[in-house]
Amino acid sequence: MFQHAPSAVARLPLAARAEALPALGAGQLHEIHAAADDWAAALAFAFAAIDAAGRRPVMLVHAARQAVLSMQPYGEGLIGLGLDPARLVLVEARDGTGMLRAGLEGARCPGLAAVVLASWRRFPEYALTASRRLVLAAERSRVPVIMLRGDAEVRPSAAHQRWLVRSARASPREANAPGLPALDVELQRRRGGASGGRWRLEWNDQDGCYREAPDTTPTPDAGIHDTPLSGAVVCLSAVRTGLAGAAAASRAA
Amino acid sequence: MPEPPLPAAPPETPFALVVRAGNALRLSAVGAPAARAGLGVGMTLADARARCPTLQTRPHDPAADAALLERLAAHMQRFTPMVAPDPPDGLILDITGCAHLFGGEAVLAAQAVADAGLTTRHAFAAHAAAARALARHGRAGGDVRDLPVTALELSADALSGLRRAGLATLGDLARRPMAGLAARFGADAVQRLRAIMGEVSNPIAARQAPAAIGARARFAEPLAHTEAVLDVLEDLLVQTARQMEARAIGGRRFVVTLERSDGARRRLVVETGLPVRDAAVVMRLLRERIDSLSDPLDPGFGFDSLTLAVPRTQPLGARQIALDSGDGASVGDDSVAALIDRLATRLGPDNICQLRPRDTHIPESAQQLVPATGTAAPWPTDAGRPLRPLLLLDPPAAVTTITSFPDGPPQRFRWRGQVHVVCHAEGPERIAPEWWRRRDGHIPGQHGLTRDYYRVEDAEGRRFWLFRHGLYEERSDPLWYIHGLFA
Repeated sequence: MFQHAPSAVARLPLAARAEALPALGAGQLHEIHAAADDWAAALAFAFAAIDAAGRRPVMLVHAARQAVLSMQPYGEGLIGLGLDPARLVLVEARDGTGMLRAGLEGARCPGLAAVVLASWRRFPEYALTASRRLVLAAERSRVPVIMLRGDAEVRPSAAHQRWLVRSARASPREANAPGLPALDVELQRRRGGASGGRWRLEWNDQDGCYREAPDTTPTPDAGIHDTPLSGAVVCLSAVRTGLAGAAAASRAA
Repeated sequence: MPEPPLPAAPPETPFALVVRAGNALRLSAVGAPAARAGLGVGMTLADARARCPTLQTRPHDPAADAALLERLAAHMQRFTPMVAPDPPDGLILDITGCAHLFGGEAVLAAQAVADAGLTTRHAFAAHAAAARALARHGRAGGDVRDLPVTALELSADALSGLRRAGLATLGDLARRPMAGLAARFGADAVQRLRAIMGEVSNPIAARQAPAAIGARARFAEPLAHTEAVLDVLEDLLVQTARQMEARAIGGRRFVVTLERSDGARRRLVVETGLPVRDAAVVMRLLRERIDSLSDPLDPGFGFDSLTLAVPRTQPLGARQIALDSGDGASVGDDSVAALIDRLATRLGPDNICQLRPRDTHIPESAQQLVPATGTAAPWPTDAGRPLRPLLLLDPPAAVTTITSFPDGPPQRFRWRGQVHVVCHAEGPERIAPEWWRRRDGHIPGQHGLTRDYYRVEDAEGRRFWLFRHGLYEERSDPLWYIHGLFA
């Protein structure tokens, strides 16, 4: 979890604001911070900023050694976000420096739709100089460069915008099914503009993009799930699996 | 001139190849024992079987014949560089100036026949058409004037017309005025006759292996500076680019050999995903390669020779440069293909990948990572498929779960030391194992474990893709795994 973002902040009501959600502009460097569990939300927010109708490839650079979770983008899931998986070019760098060099090469290539760098935790090579290089390359080629930071502390950089992305509870569908993707994004820093806005975005299937949507889900009462059923009715024994289940089974025996 | 390539068969068994012509199977080639038994080309298989009950047959494969002829033509280039295939079953060799190397025409022919390893006929003549007619319709050393009129290879009507006119040999025809022949049997007959008689030229289109693309620079004084070497290399690249442009090809593999004055050799190899001939692009790749060398390029006392070879090429036509180069298809140093090549040179081709769909419903097998080329076929997009996660964990992570009832979604689960309380769940989506790929998979109980997938959302709003590996009737304590993360 984020050390710098105490969970109390997440409970605050969204600030009323007049301005619309600023776009992740072309030819700029954007930083998106997220916790490891919210990684998919951060990636979806980055991909949603890419022009879905274009045919230009999207470069996703990652360093296998750095990653906290071993995972890869899933093609059919990308289709759900309106991005053709054939456009995705996955680049695996050896380390942080290799990732920055590959990202810089990509940022210089105007044939790309976007360059997304996926970096985790401490990343000493990514400092003011390195980020400034990315900014200059992006400004020349007009390619948006998005730096995803997972489980990372905020350090000064030359990025135009810095976002904090969390998953948000989706409006449930019928039969208590989870709804469409929902995000809670916070603009922490913005060069040459006001920052500090927070938006709750929900995926709109008709438009194929994220739309701002107020939180309509009732706050789940965690107590219902935490406390066992009261003694007035028969208490269902929960089925446990995995190690805990095996331990419970051996205790019972 | 080798004649029909007949497949090897036991010597005394009548053998023939058959081809389906309309509704009948007819013989298309017969072996010597079959020919002795009275069988001939064009006979129906039923007739042939009636005459020769022991006849062995195989279907005729013209493509294999053509491939064999190509191989033979390539092989015959050891006798002469001028070899032309004469489909379907002939080869024409221009041995002018070559025969003495083998000890005369007869010795050369004997060697060629032995090399071919087939039943062949051959003939010599002063030009190709006469040699062909002698080999196919006469005998070696004969005179073209004695050849039967069938050597003109006219239609059956024309041949019977010629015979009825009392003209049996080409010599008879050649003595007549050509105008009458052309009026009766067409200009084609006259053309063939004059070609066989040697009155018009009949060139052959010889197969020639294209010269290898390459360039070389030698220096009177060794070059001791790497930058100077790179400048020369750029010149060589421009030279090879011109050679490739003339042939409308592009290089996929460039090999530079640097020879140092003390005899040491260094080889630099770069490969590209798409054919290129732009010197600047290859130059960038070479610089990339030099940068990534574990031991740097040491000129020592200097390089005295530089060789550039392009061993692998592919067709590459001239391309129009688009006015708006915004579609990613722009050529040159800025294109995505060039970027992929640069990164592949630095990081290795296996580290630049694209996703390709595969036809299976097992989620982790439904996509495949293939080396990127910059151009990929779009994925099929059909609406109405169940939702899939954005990220797939590889491998799936085992989680400890508590479920309220056996066949339902988990109530809570623990992953990476954190407890997630499930608020919403959808499922199961049951994905059966691919029993047809397993050994003994068709036997009940041997088909592998079924997976029940659930899409769940926890109290924090994170959406996961969980599955129970195995139904309760398949194993008593099925394990739960987390397989993907939804946005």
